[in-house]
Amino acid sequence: MEVRTSRFGTVNINEDRVITFSKGLLGFPRHTRFCLLEPGDDACFFWLQSMDDPNLAFVVTDPSLFVADYSVTIRAEQMQELGLAAIEDAQAFVIVNKVDRTLTGNLQGPLVINTKTRQGEQLVLAEKRWTTRHTLVQLGAGIQAPAAMSA
Amino acid sequence: MLVLSRQRDETIMIGDEIEVTIVDVRGDKVRLGITAPTKVAVHRKEIYEAIKRENEQAASLAKGTRGATAPMPAELQALRTNGLPKRPGIRGPVLAGLSRLGTSLAPSERASERASETPENRGTEISGARTAFSHESGPKSG
Repeated sequence: MEVRTSRFGTVNINEDRVITFSKGLLGFPRHTRFCLLEPGDDACFFWLQSMDDPNLAFVVTDPSLFVADYSVTIRAEQMQELGLAAIEDAQAFVIVNKVDRTLTGNLQGPLVINTKTRQGEQLVLAEKRWTTRHTLVQLGAGIQAPAAMSA
Repeated sequence: MLVLSRQRDETIMIGDEIEVTIVDVRGDKVRLGITAPTKVAVHRKEIYEAIKRENEQAASLAKGTRGATAPMPAELQALRTNGLPKRPGIRGPVLAGLSRLGTSLAPSERASERASETPENRGTEISGARTAFSHESGPKSG
């Protein structure tokens, strides 16, 4: 199916790439259908593109690429909402922001996706350890060891 | 907004299942103890607001008031050229075709979350002026 995007023009995706956030994302309650665009096979970053609004897209990444000890706690009720039968079926992403020349990840509000049903939800973590602006990587800085990047 | 006056150790009920108890009042701080079914999420409002703001800025190409914008495709491309941390291997499930992802998820029962909290921070502490149970002091910023 075709998806119109302001960043990449019109792209063709398989329907199995459509992810439904039935509650939307915080601040975007009406945008419920997204697809995950992969700019290249070696990509650390992906685009979570709205299916309904070409202008709405978020850069997302797997936080474990940058923060080795990050994990997401999920309650039984939240697993039920997502139709998660097993925790192994879940995949977590975080939304990426750019602050000056630093990419930051919102580790306090991770996106959890049921990879079987492709239902997603943005969780709110109670743990104070993870912030909405966790430093991931400096732009143009080249390779850094993930251990040196924790905020 | 419904405004109720309560004293220390007094409780209000919200519906049949949610109880909010005034644990302590000290200066401009009120400590609340909240008992709710696990299906009800209880969070400080600032956390929701912060996540919402980050979402809005991450979707915006214009620099927001808090100084963040969406990264541009070219910038991410340049990062790739420079090299990024490589995943040691595949861990956990993946979305179709996304084979290098693996943040772990841990199941949690609210009871066990609470067990790890000290008695000191078990109550949710919020600024008194923001609650409907505030004592007489005026609004405080921050």
